Amino acid sequence: MSKPLDKKAVGGDLLIPAAAVGFTIYYFWTIWDSPWTAQVNAFLVGTILIILVAIFITRTVLAVRRGSASLRIGNLLAPRELLLTRLGLLITTLGYVIVIQWAGFTLTTCLFLLSAMLILNRGRNLGIVALLSAGLALFGYLLFIVSFDTRFPRGPFEQFMQSLFGNGF
Amino acid sequence: MDFNLELFGPLFLHTLGYWWVIIPSILLGLVIGAIPGFSAANTIIMLLPLTLAMDVEIGLIFMVALYCSSRMGAGVPAILVNIPGTAGAAATPLDGYPMTRSGRGQQALAMSFVASTAGGLLTTVLALLAMPWLAEVSFYMHSVEMIVVMLFGISLIATIAAKDTLKGLIAGFFGLMIGSIGADHVYATPRGTLGFLELYDGIPLIPALVGLFAVSEAFLMIEGESILSQHGKDLIRRSGWAATIEGAKIAVKRWWHIIWNSIIGLVIGVIPGAGAGIASFVAYQQSRTYSKTPELYGTGHPEGLIAPEAANNGVTSGTLIPLLILGIPGGATAAVMLVVMQYQGVVLGPSLFADNPELGYGVFMAMAVTYLIMMFTILPLARYMSRVTLLSTVYMAPIVIAFTLVGSFVPREYMFDMYLGLAFGIIGYVARKTGYHVAAILIGVILGPLLEQYFLRALKMSD
Repeated sequence: MSKPLDKKAVGGDLLIPAAAVGFTIYYFWTIWDSPWTAQVNAFLVGTILIILVAIFITRTVLAVRRGSASLRIGNLLAPRELLLTRLGLLITTLGYVIVIQWAGFTLTTCLFLLSAMLILNRGRNLGIVALLSAGLALFGYLLFIVSFDTRFPRGPFEQFMQSLFGNGF
Repeated sequence: MDFNLELFGPLFLHTLGYWWVIIPSILLGLVIGAIPGFSAANTIIMLLPLTLAMDVEIGLIFMVALYCSSRMGAGVPAILVNIPGTAGAAATPLDGYPMTRSGRGQQALAMSFVASTAGGLLTTVLALLAMPWLAEVSFYMHSVEMIVVMLFGISLIATIAAKDTLKGLIAGFFGLMIGSIGADHVYATPRGTLGFLELYDGIPLIPALVGLFAVSEAFLMIEGESILSQHGKDLIRRSGWAATIEGAKIAVKRWWHIIWNSIIGLVIGVIPGAGAGIASFVAYQQSRTYSKTPELYGTGHPEGLIAPEAANNGVTSGTLIPLLILGIPGGATAAVMLVVMQYQGVVLGPSLFADNPELGYGVFMAMAVTYLIMMFTILPLARYMSRVTLLSTVYMAPIVIAFTLVGSFVPREYMFDMYLGLAFGIIGYVARKTGYHVAAILIGVILGPLLEQYFLRALKMSD
């Protein structure tokens, strides 16, 4: 008899099919009363998708019943010792997207790079990390905002530079 | 349209005299091509005040050189860090990145550069010689024919998911569903938009590309100290010019492959609405189908890298043919060029080649000169570019996230697109960790809306 740990963990494999079916059902709901031109493609693609997922689930259930697979999440969270680091990076990334619209591109990029590199570096090499973060953020500012004049979110740093050097900055 | 062959020689030399415009444009194009979101079209739009102020000839040379080199630049991060700079390079990492991971990044870059420049140069010459006939292709490609082309591209989903076809198909059809988000093409009924107005135009491609490839890759790369194995690191550190020469040789030996795939790119480029994204997937798929070693594709096979790179550079000259002959832009960059040319008072159409042949043929001549210059100036850079992969993931992952996520903001300038990039990043991460191919999802997202559009048109026509 095989040990439970030998079983292939397939619980995580069901996440994408679940998301796909959930979205397809929602999509069908949004087009239910629409003209046929809005429905035809989605019903064709969505129906095939649901059939494929049904086959996949059947295959998974059979494997679990045979004892060759388990519904554990398995590989998705591996390596477990990096779980906190990964979570830290995700929160920092989310923070970057939220804060950038108020603090502007340069300042937020600098802070994001600094905090993300420190999280991944476990607080080591502060000097190098700080210098690299500031340098890259400044490079991005000069390339994207000064040279290309993109409409990246502007914050206190960009406003300060503009007040110093005029509209070109 | 009559040919004026005597014009070609002097025009070539005349264009070569503008090397001082071409070389900086090539360097700029390489940089913007490598950053997702900064396509040639976006950059030309951003630099529009500068372009409009230039003499029309210099402006055109600048735009053409930027366009060609950005196409090549998009392949660099695709090969080195598994992040395509544009949708046209989305098939490049399938074999390019495995080469990098095994320490053959420099060789892969050299192969890509040779395939890109040779493919681009060849199709430019072909475009010059066969322009009137190629322009007719766009008349013969109707909705039904386009559906066949796209189905060929979509069939790649099953190919790249050879390990588990069912998972590959689920990912691909999930991508097709995501690609169907937005207002329908006839009555503008909003579908699957989750209530977001920003999704009425459909799923923007860059946030999807950034999330599925770049953000998910950054979260995966932190699992190791480097994206390279110790053997790969040793190879890169020890490699001199030999790896570049070897890569170039491998590409040159596959000259037939370059010719064939660049012609595929040229023909697809001529069709308005089709573009490098479709061309590279179709080229990869047909290359694998007719290969004697299809099982090697996806493991770092040179032909799997050469095919999409030759094709997406073949597209560049193709997109300009309908623009110059018919006044119909074949792609986004060609559409921006149209604006600039019209502003300068240039009348596009067959009369352009009779009234102003220096300008009409000059566009293709600028393209030929750009590819020639790129062949000799960019190839030596492969050695130094490949060193990027030696950077520790501790530094590389945050840099990738920061500079690609803001890239997703650029095309539409919506903050929403950055959130969308992050959401796609989470989908991409889960997909990769559980054995679903992100390229299969992306193929669906790219081809889904186009397939629906042509499918509806074909149905309406059959009524």
